[in-house]
Amino acid sequence: MASFTPYTYFQCPCTDTSTPTRNLGDEQPPETEENSDDERTFDPRAPRSNYSLYPLEHLFYCEDCHQIRCPRCVLDEIVTWYCPNCLFEVPSSTVKSEGNRCTRSCFQCPICVAPLSVSSLEAPPEGLGAELASQQNGPFVLNCAYCMWSSKETGIQFEKPNGIFAQLAKIKNGGEPILTAKDRRKDREERKRDFSGSSAAEESQENEAPINLDPNERLDPESQFSNLKAFYQTQMAESSPVSALGFTGDYGYGSPGALSRIMGLYTGGSYADKKSKTKSGTMREARDALEGLQIDPLSDEDAINKLRTEGWESTASAEQRHEQTTHTPFLSDLRPVAYLLRTKRSKRCKTCRHILSKPESKVQTTRFRIRLVALNYIPSIIIKPLQPILPTASPLLAPLNPVQFLLTFKNPLFDSVKVTLATPAKTPGRFPTKVTVLCPQFEVGANTDVWDEALRDNNTKSSLSGEKRRTKAEASEGQHQAEAGKVWERGRNWVSVVVEVVPPSLRIEDSEWLKSEEMKRDGGEVRDGEEVVEIPVFVRVEWEGEVGGEDSGLGGGGKDKEVREKRELAYWCVLGLGKVDVD
Amino acid sequence: MSSKRASTMPAPLKPPTSLASSLIIAEHASLTGTHLITLGSNTVVHPRARFNSTHAPITVGSNCIICERSSIGFQSEAAANERQGILIENGVVIEVGAVVEARTVGEGTIIEVQAKIGKGAVLGKHCKIGPLCEITEGEVVPDFTVVYGPGMRRLDRSGVEDLKMKMVARQIEVLKKLIPSNLAKFQ
Ligand SMILES: [Zn+2]
Ligand SMILES: [Zn+2]
Ligand SMILES: [Zn+2]
Ligand SMILES: [Zn+2]
Repeated sequence: MASFTPYTYFQCPCTDTSTPTRNLGDEQPPETEENSDDERTFDPRAPRSNYSLYPLEHLFYCEDCHQIRCPRCVLDEIVTWYCPNCLFEVPSSTVKSEGNRCTRSCFQCPICVAPLSVSSLEAPPEGLGAELASQQNGPFVLNCAYCMWSSKETGIQFEKPNGIFAQLAKIKNGGEPILTAKDRRKDREERKRDFSGSSAAEESQENEAPINLDPNERLDPESQFSNLKAFYQTQMAESSPVSALGFTGDYGYGSPGALSRIMGLYTGGSYADKKSKTKSGTMREARDALEGLQIDPLSDEDAINKLRTEGWESTASAEQRHEQTTHTPFLSDLRPVAYLLRTKRSKRCKTCRHILSKPESKVQTTRFRIRLVALNYIPSIIIKPLQPILPTASPLLAPLNPVQFLLTFKNPLFDSVKVTLATPAKTPGRFPTKVTVLCPQFEVGANTDVWDEALRDNNTKSSLSGEKRRTKAEASEGQHQAEAGKVWERGRNWVSVVVEVVPPSLRIEDSEWLKSEEMKRDGGEVRDGEEVVEIPVFVRVEWEGEVGGEDSGLGGGGKDKEVREKRELAYWCVLGLGKVDVD
Repeated sequence: MSSKRASTMPAPLKPPTSLASSLIIAEHASLTGTHLITLGSNTVVHPRARFNSTHAPITVGSNCIICERSSIGFQSEAAANERQGILIENGVVIEVGAVVEARTVGEGTIIEVQAKIGKGAVLGKHCKIGPLCEITEGEVVPDFTVVYGPGMRRLDRSGVEDLKMKMVARQIEVLKKLIPSNLAKFQ
């Protein structure tokens, strides 16, 4: 509560402010209709404002629309997928087929999220020629250098130190092998063939060692899912060989045939029967583990027994379980978490589709090919109290006591800009702050080379508009009072102006607002955030810039470099100045 | 500056020591206090490691690594059950900047960077106290405990402690070549 850092937020124009925001159930206040468009002030505390205010660093600037763009009005496009751990670039086709996790050997600790490393369980070779021994020999484990977790705790060991992802996919916790989806498919096909009574000789030719799966097997979640999926896919394919639209299998979900069958489930079959009497089989549910059914009364009992013997200590925390893809109530169920892939994205303007930001596609480089950030186009605003705050003084603003703040506008453009500020005399809300900008109109110099400035200062002592430049010493001596209509301090590409505010008293009985009718409806409590002095400022920036690249290029012969056009940009800002003492 | 000031002060008293002949102790390690300091064989003491036996004796076993700016020894008067001093068993690693006021540190325990072991605590065997973790005064930490993050604890069941002890031994082999020992200074 004690400390407060002043802030500046910029409003992106993409949010529609033409409809005034009001609380649900409120009647339309009659004043707003009388207000003309220009007088409408932006209320930083309105419920919608939160969604349109951004720090300058978060904003883009579209050179074609000549407008600010915020994260809500840009389109993201993925340039590259990569693993944050090994920085390996993953082709998007692989992401589609293999999923969005690193499929090499990058894993996070299931206990503490630190990266896991592969290490050998064998002691490294010792003695003569130890350095020459090329590789450690297995078995290998994944272990966490931070919390000392090791995959050995869950009974997982690897034969090779590389390709851990593929190896892990074949091992259950405890060390038993997982039958791959491929093996399972083979088994299913065999059973089908048995069922339809095809020749056994053909079978034995194809695979030498047919795997016979136990119908009461306890499945791991992935296998259960793949079994269930396969079972229902065949069911659907059999029950509706070719649907009306000619789709089979996967694509049948949305088809009229599927719809009528689902309707049939609820209406006792009559609906389906009427429509499709010709259909041969009816669908049945999964019957055993081979079809993905798991009836496992033992698992609950096991869990209770485990809780009894090993206690709370052996259970996984909510965060740990959150990282896992399957149900993992116990620490012994946790599996190493493969790293989630990250993306590099380019951003486009939603309105004109021009690219606003495009990173270099190579993972290792942090450079950008295109980066039109608002920071390079609109003046930044820095807030400082005019009178230095003593370290002993309270950082809170005294109610009803005028305070002066220094707003420093810094121009990033290579042309000088004319800035016009407008603020409401009283901020909107229950506890209005009185605001006066002492110098609402001024010009900020171009962001030229530092040396230009030095040279110009030598030639003509006075700066841009002939105003005397105040030195820091003068300011600190307090020789100057802030004067209305005058810039406080000016530099190469920056200007400081003074704004005076009278913070409100947060005492309910003092508030003018309470004398109004709304008092009856709204309680007296000071609500969260109302003690912060936030001032909406309408900033209009005007400058003469070079005509945009494309237009001048089309001109062809007339290579007139001096063609300049007037530009204007206007937007709302919110200045967070401080907190009022609630006493 | 500081060296000048030190010269005007009377040199601190050398504590009585019992040092193994294979001990590696850097010249700039500091041993102060009045009680006996025992350092075992094959133990490595880095420069600027501090032992303070003002309030109770300190015993360090063999194959330990005591890193820079770590501080071992009670910083206040020893309670009745702490009189026998600090016992650090074999194969213990005390990392940079750790503060150890434990009564006992069990075999093979690792105390990470800037961890703090409160006065009179008892650490079991093969524990790991993570970086910046703290053990409160008088606490008893069971064997194989790993303390990490914001006070999280777990038991390490990986069963690779023999391997870890071997790795410490290998690290000591390397450190022996790197740190010039000056045993005579402290005897
Ligand atoms: Zn926007
Ligand atoms: Zn990776
Ligand atoms: Zn971990
Ligand atoms: Zn655009």
